[in-house]
Amino acid sequence: MWVAPAVTVLFWVSVATLAMGLARRSALWRAGREAPFAWSELLAVPKRYFIDLHHVVARDPYIAKTHIATAGGAIAALVLVALNYGLVIYARLLDWGILLAAAVMLAGTYFVWARRRESPQRLSRGAWNRLPHSLAAFAIGLAILVMAPPQALSLAIAVFALLLLLAGSAELTLGIGAGSPMKHAVAGLLHLAFHPRPERFSGGRSTALAPLALANRDFGVAKPADFLWTELLSFDACVECGKCEQSCPAFAARQPLNPKKLIQDLVAGLSSSSDVAYAGRPYPGISIGAHRGSPDQPIVPKLIEAETVWSCTTCRACVEECPMLIEHVDAIVGMRRSLNLTQGDVPGTAPETLSNLRETGTQGGYAKSARYNWAIDLDVPEAQPGKPVDLLLFAGEGAFDMRYQRTLRALVKSLKAARVDFAILGPRECDTGDTARRLGDEATFQALARQNIAILAALNFKRIVTSDPHVLHSLRNEYPAFGGNYTVIHHTALLAELASQGKLKLGKTTETRTLTYHDPCYLGRYNGETQAPRDLLRNLGIEVHEMQRSGLRARCCGGGGGAPLTDIPGKQRIPDIRMADAREVGADVIAVACPQCTAMLEGVAGARAEILDIAELVASSLEAQQ
Amino acid sequence: MRYSHIFTPLTLNQLTLPNRIYSTAHAEVYADAGGMPGDRYIRYYEEKAKGGLGMAICGGSSPVSIDVPQGAWRPVNLTTDRVIEPMARLADTVHRHGMKIMIQATHMGRRSAYAGDPWPHLVSPSGVREFVHRGNAKAIEIEDIARIIADFAAAAKRVQASGFDGIEISAAHQQLIDQFWSPRTNMRTDEWGGSLENRMRFGLEVLKAVREAVGRDFCVGLRMCADEFHDDGLDHEVLKEIAQRLSETGMIDFISVIGSGADTHNTLANCMPPMALPPEPFVHLAAGIKSVVNVPILHAQGIRDITQAERILANGFVDMVGMTRAHIADPHIMKKVREGREDQIRQCVGANYCIDRMYSGSDTLCVQNPATSREATMPHVITQTKGAKRRVVVVGGGPAGLEAARVSRSRGHDVILFERSSAVGGQINLAAKAPQREQMAGIVRWFDLETKRLGVDRRLETDATPEMVLSERPDIVVLATGGRSFSDQVANWGAKDGLSISSWDILSEKVAPAENVLVYDGISAHAGFGTADFLASRGCTVEIVTPDTKVSDDVGGTTFPIFYRRLYSQGIIPTPNHWLDRVYAEGNKKIAVLRNEYTDELEERVVDQVVIENGITPNTELYTSLKDRSLNRGQVDLKSLYAAEPQPALQEATGEGRFLLFRVGDCVSMHNIHAAIYDSLRLCKDF
Repeated sequence: MWVAPAVTVLFWVSVATLAMGLARRSALWRAGREAPFAWSELLAVPKRYFIDLHHVVARDPYIAKTHIATAGGAIAALVLVALNYGLVIYARLLDWGILLAAAVMLAGTYFVWARRRESPQRLSRGAWNRLPHSLAAFAIGLAILVMAPPQALSLAIAVFALLLLLAGSAELTLGIGAGSPMKHAVAGLLHLAFHPRPERFSGGRSTALAPLALANRDFGVAKPADFLWTELLSFDACVECGKCEQSCPAFAARQPLNPKKLIQDLVAGLSSSSDVAYAGRPYPGISIGAHRGSPDQPIVPKLIEAETVWSCTTCRACVEECPMLIEHVDAIVGMRRSLNLTQGDVPGTAPETLSNLRETGTQGGYAKSARYNWAIDLDVPEAQPGKPVDLLLFAGEGAFDMRYQRTLRALVKSLKAARVDFAILGPRECDTGDTARRLGDEATFQALARQNIAILAALNFKRIVTSDPHVLHSLRNEYPAFGGNYTVIHHTALLAELASQGKLKLGKTTETRTLTYHDPCYLGRYNGETQAPRDLLRNLGIEVHEMQRSGLRARCCGGGGGAPLTDIPGKQRIPDIRMADAREVGADVIAVACPQCTAMLEGVAGARAEILDIAELVASSLEAQQ
Repeated sequence: MRYSHIFTPLTLNQLTLPNRIYSTAHAEVYADAGGMPGDRYIRYYEEKAKGGLGMAICGGSSPVSIDVPQGAWRPVNLTTDRVIEPMARLADTVHRHGMKIMIQATHMGRRSAYAGDPWPHLVSPSGVREFVHRGNAKAIEIEDIARIIADFAAAAKRVQASGFDGIEISAAHQQLIDQFWSPRTNMRTDEWGGSLENRMRFGLEVLKAVREAVGRDFCVGLRMCADEFHDDGLDHEVLKEIAQRLSETGMIDFISVIGSGADTHNTLANCMPPMALPPEPFVHLAAGIKSVVNVPILHAQGIRDITQAERILANGFVDMVGMTRAHIADPHIMKKVREGREDQIRQCVGANYCIDRMYSGSDTLCVQNPATSREATMPHVITQTKGAKRRVVVVGGGPAGLEAARVSRSRGHDVILFERSSAVGGQINLAAKAPQREQMAGIVRWFDLETKRLGVDRRLETDATPEMVLSERPDIVVLATGGRSFSDQVANWGAKDGLSISSWDILSEKVAPAENVLVYDGISAHAGFGTADFLASRGCTVEIVTPDTKVSDDVGGTTFPIFYRRLYSQGIIPTPNHWLDRVYAEGNKKIAVLRNEYTDELEERVVDQVVIENGITPNTELYTSLKDRSLNRGQVDLKSLYAAEPQPALQEATGEGRFLLFRVGDCVSMHNIHAAIYDSLRLCKDF
């Protein structure tokens, strides 16, 4: 019978097609910049796939199981086909294996199909809606061909089954070359091997931005080819599941940003096409179809509008949710860097802030000498060269804000109560440059970082404490690249530590209202600290009524990444949405741990929960004991 | 940043102040016997320190020499080493809260009255008598000068020894130093008089001696006037010259500037500008001094609002703003500003109850904040009760009722406030109708905001009946029903027959003013003249008659001059020492029969309208009907009340129709605003 040889031929043709497609696609990726690369990373793929990636995917058990069945069945079937037909063994036993694999795969495709009947809005349609059918065709065709006894197989059925298999195989093999949905399988696996942030797979959170080599005239990403090739590869891994879109605070506020569309536009850019075939939801307020790009054409504005790039709060919720481990924020900041450094084109009041940072070392254009004015009557020593101190307080920009000064004063009172040996950094302190960096002004960030590093080098301290998670992130995660290595601790972690050591005798709070805790993005997602604030609150006798989005998956307040400065209009304000989250759990008080969150949430108009920093709750419990 | 100028630190010598608001030296009249700062004195300043104030200068006109009488306003006695220990206690106490403290030191020269301990012969450069204090003085002798200079140095050393942060030498309000400066009081022809250099000699010698005593690093400031407003006195240009010369000596670390002399009744009224004066009336004078000196300029006078202070600082007029009366009204201003609770600041309205009491020899109290200077017993911050949560019904939304509602609600109780009219405030709303008395409404404004903020269940336009009160099932009923105008006290005044009307009728604009009006003021407080002024301002011809020795006899030293400026400028006819015997009609005119207090001679006035201000008579109807039904028969236990202790009746089980009944304010007997609010605070703080 000719069926088995036909499958063999089909198999090898498919392999060849796949190889050609991969060659074609990888040529596109290679338009990107060089990145550190080792073939041996391929060996890490199974662990990264089954552990790191599965960890994200498993949050949605339905699709996790569906994917295991579909992809697992498909891969098992392909391996067995390769063995039995590729190597021309034609063993009956292996056919049974193929049948089993095809059946599992078919079951998986059923669930894919079932979900797509009433699919959530975040999922892209278009070509993706074809998948359950084409994959089912593959499974059914393969099953018929390998299992039906030759005598029962009429020519017509055989041809029909072969056509089914052909159609299914085409989906699988042409996908990578044609850039259709199934490209995710190949690109996804390669992306796991050559991920731009391999530290993510060794337990670290890896949230620091990579420094720009400004001296080499590296000014970020102007065109798709300016991305690392590994980044271009990562975009091709996108499965358009829309988890990013669902988590994006800017998208929720109807600002013109949708992380999924952004990645798809970059895919269009790297493959010299357009967004005509994009079948997901648009950037709110911007219609689909007119975006076109190519590797060497500027991204903004023809491929992606500037407003899209400037809407991001850099909250990393999209990154946290992405099952393909794509780094959206790196892409955004890369593009911002180019807009900022080569065109100086930054919207809203951001240019003023940036120029303040350059000229005064503060965001608001204050005298640095005024940063610790709030501490004068508290009698706190100022760090001096040659005078060792255990702890250095780095206040950040919040020190200029009347509201946040209350938090800082509360912190100082707690540190004094715990008899901590500490000093304030004083008038030498410069802004860490966090906001500049998120706004793409890498030059200003690096200048500020170098200043602070030089200032800190002259002082003798063991640890730095800050109540600003943005300061924490810069000092802890981003300064090491410039030679600044410090032990930095957030005030909530320090207070929790002091309480657990018995140095800070926390009393029971007098706060009787319903309280929820809002995780700052730069404390939670950027630094993994979600427990210390909750421990402190529990020790104060406060029950935290958790919002639906909390911990590492908390919703942003809207205050990060310079978003309040670029101030791209939407239909709603992000902090209003967050306030509604709090309202949903009946919170009268929102405990916070960040000056930005404090300012954003307190900026919500109308009746709202009261905003109290955890430091204030701690200090008031100490006062109540007196 | 909000309030960035206020919260910019200021360095005075070695001292860094956390903000630019301070409390200037004023005569507290709180010191213990012998001029020692005691518990009351320390608590008063501690409260400001708790409230986040950067610095206070205490002890207005604290004397350095024993020939200055101390009886009248009980200053801190800097003439003896015994003062060091209690001053040290004061300094330690406020330092714990991060506040700096200085004291004003002075020799008052002729600015006093000899008739009191130690019955001294006052001294002044040329022995010219002072008018306000009836200060007869001898011409100072060289030996006195040497003695007093040495006294200044010794006093400064005591201040330093006590741990104070600095000393302010007073050369303001016509004290001995500026008595030497002023040609009005210095006619000497020796080296201490004549040329400006000679007239400045005494002050410079004092500063030299003080500086020598305390060293270079101790903060020494000087308070001076920037224009005496007398043709024969020091004008702004001369005082600029003096300030510049003083500044150039390098001996002083700051100059505190005030506008106006103070040795006549009329100039004295400027010094603590009452509500009739515009805000910050003399900041331009302080700015003038600032333009010629190289030391920081501190200035107070009519700066009562925190945003006003910020604007003055932002404009660079002065370097630091004194908000003294503002802190008497609310010692927690800075804390509230820091916490974004500006709405909750009890703002000084410039009623000058504080200073007017002082000028009558009484202790300084605030018209609207009875806790001030009673910190040992009266709380500035009301805390929640740890006892039962009660239902408290307050009837009457005047100052007594508002305070009762505010305090009870702050204690955590459910509070219902009934008020007959459409707005809270009671008689204060009428008081605010008088010309240039509008700011009295500020007292109500705060209570209005606070009772709303705290969630008092306010039932306006509700004339509470006994049934309505009881249907709320109260545990406690506080009656603050006030009174009604007592213009019918004397039948012959003819109120019933419409021959006379009340001041309330005029101020509430219920009755239109007629052309020729006689105002009879049986009380001599603010309302009588306010009514006369209201009428005169509308073009009426007005005569104000009172049995007292002078018109508005019972308003204080900084208020009656304002009234008299308006009285004379508008041609209001003052007729003191006369009773109103009766009023009768003759045609469409009213005839008012006046009787001279001292001769019994009768006079008649033919007028279009007779307006009677005779205070109030209490509203007692509700009390009468509720009294017998209450557990305590409406009685306040006086022993507990005066001892600031909880009412014993609060121990009794209430509810289910069992309730306690109390009365506060005018519905008991006619009191003033302070007394009404105090009645409620001391009663309700323990609910």
